[in-house]
Amino acid sequence: MGSRAFMVFLTHRGSSINPISNVSHLFLKKTPVQYKNQRTQKYFSTKAKSSLEPPNLPRLAETARISLTPDEVEEFAPKIRQVVDWFGQLQAIDLENVEPAIRADTEGDNMRDDLPQNFQNREAIITALPSYEEPYIKVPKVLNKE
Amino acid sequence: MALTFFRGIKTCPLIHFPSAYFARKNGYFYCSMGSTNTQFATQEKQQSADLKTSQKTHKKSADKLLKDYEAVIGIETHVQLHTLTKAFCSCPYSYGAQPNTSICPVCMGLPGALPVLNSKVIEYAVKVGLALNCKLSLNSKFDRKQYFYPDLPKGYQISQFDVPIASGGCIDVDLPVEFGGGHRKFGITRVHMEEDAGKLLHTGNGNYSQVDLNRAGVPLLEIVSEPDMRTGIEAAEYAAELQRLVRYLGVSNGNMQEGSLRCDVNISIRPTGQQEFGTKVEIKNLNSFSSVSRAIDFEISRQVLLHSQGQADQIVQETRLWEEGAQKTITMRKKEGLSDYRYFPEPDLPGVALTEEYVDSIRDSLPELPETKRRRYEKMGLSMQDVLFLTNDLNVAEFFDATIGKGADIKLAANWIMGDIAAYMKNEKLSINEIKLTPQELGDLIASIKGGTISGKIGKEILFELVAKGGTVQGLIKDKDLVQIVDLSEIEKMVDKVLADNPEQLEKYRGGKTRLQGYFAGQVMKESKGKANPKLLNQILLEKLNAKG
Ligand SMILES: [Zn+2]
Repeated sequence: MGSRAFMVFLTHRGSSINPISNVSHLFLKKTPVQYKNQRTQKYFSTKAKSSLEPPNLPRLAETARISLTPDEVEEFAPKIRQVVDWFGQLQAIDLENVEPAIRADTEGDNMRDDLPQNFQNREAIITALPSYEEPYIKVPKVLNKE
Repeated sequence: MALTFFRGIKTCPLIHFPSAYFARKNGYFYCSMGSTNTQFATQEKQQSADLKTSQKTHKKSADKLLKDYEAVIGIETHVQLHTLTKAFCSCPYSYGAQPNTSICPVCMGLPGALPVLNSKVIEYAVKVGLALNCKLSLNSKFDRKQYFYPDLPKGYQISQFDVPIASGGCIDVDLPVEFGGGHRKFGITRVHMEEDAGKLLHTGNGNYSQVDLNRAGVPLLEIVSEPDMRTGIEAAEYAAELQRLVRYLGVSNGNMQEGSLRCDVNISIRPTGQQEFGTKVEIKNLNSFSSVSRAIDFEISRQVLLHSQGQADQIVQETRLWEEGAQKTITMRKKEGLSDYRYFPEPDLPGVALTEEYVDSIRDSLPELPETKRRRYEKMGLSMQDVLFLTNDLNVAEFFDATIGKGADIKLAANWIMGDIAAYMKNEKLSINEIKLTPQELGDLIASIKGGTISGKIGKEILFELVAKGGTVQGLIKDKDLVQIVDLSEIEKMVDKVLADNPEQLEKYRGGKTRLQGYFAGQVMKESKGKANPKLLNQILLEKLNAKG
């Protein structure tokens, strides 16, 4: 595997930002308490794009459990850099008087009732498994949650 | 699902707030650790003839050593919610179902499938949050926690990270009387919602593992305690109280054997009086309350011993497994730095918004909780032993409440339930809901004995009939003609008959062998088929025995 998987990874809904650890700090470094008290978020309101460090491709590949050739690293680095820079631009926005939101607004609460329903095409899922031996899915031996 | 990613490597699941975890006050519930039965790690290594004496001195020095240290214990508990469907899809879940039958594109993480939250998960989380006296977040959200492991088809777990649905609560427990008793209050750091992973089985041979994904996506609540516990007993009681709480609330079956309630313990020790915490060790694989308690006591001893031998540096941040067979903890993995789960808000789910009205409606629907029940029973005058027994199982407590609701004497009702009824249930392996006796009839039985209609002895016989076969007290008394005999002349007749039938014994009695009174009483009772009022019987018997003496 390699570039194809990596592209899937990058374009997979919403997760395109997750490998860039500096960006993920935007979401991570707030405890609930800080969240309440911190009306303005320094992450957003200060510093321009220069504050974001360039992505560390080998580390990103490791956290995504994929291996990249040196050529691929060279190919992807500028693309990811573009994404990071884009977040850098967002950081320049003045949010001094904006109430922080934890999620984008959505209409309605989009929940469902607790009513069971069996998925009808289970066979298709089972057939698509790379390795299956009734009734279990087979995976390489795992001994330790490491 | 990304099976190609499954390579058996996963970052360590760490506590979410490593620094905040141990951040609060330091132990105002200090208990002497010497009070519990600690067993020393080195004991098992000792052999040969002087084993006994060396163990004795060892135990002595161990107890002395333990007094110089304080343990700091926090617990992370995962409670499986017993909803009909999974957290984010409509797949039904039932424990023990045929593997990989309850799966769909959502819980298998197939591309394009979108999660939709089960409203029951919110309801149950709010219930637990309120019951644990937590502050609720009216606006919270779900986050992705990313790690690679074959039991996690999506490559991430939907969880809550920086804004848990509930936080800053507490729980009250009463320690078992046999361990010295006492009331404790432990802090609750947070409660958050997340989904379970599948089950991984390791076959004995072969170079592969087996995965069952029925459990993948089943809703969990993770409940994190403050590091407020100091002994194995306190920790076990905390876990037991959580089990009672979720059962009272009806949000989980709390079954530890089935993995519906899983406890991971964090423990460190420090010299008594020291402010800073020692190195924290995590213990997993605790499948019962007694293993929680024993694993902690073992771990305290292990760490104290290392400390006392100047080898404190050998206590490292690691995860240890409790081995039930060997009764000890063993290293599972050492932790190298903090793992990076790269949390970020779950883009496929909207935020979780609660209205005050919704929270209030759930608060109003909460049942009486274990702590409230215990305090109520205590005020009714029951001993702590009785209180703890009756409140431990919600069904027993409800049976008791229903019985005294029929006007039965409180102490007598408790005695019957804890005595003969509990013994019968234990023998027959039945729950109180499965026996044939109803609270109505128990109340009637107690009243019939108290009112003198039947004797206590007959009452006991009727009870066994009622629990096994059912029926009513009045019906049995009538059918079997069991009404107590309180008619003085009738009892007199029976006494006369017995004395007449036993001239030799009577002579001996009158000759000074007064212990024979018991023999006569027994004979008269037999004559009455157990129905004579014992007090009247003895009164009349004594009069007659001593009449010509
Ligand atoms: Zn599903």
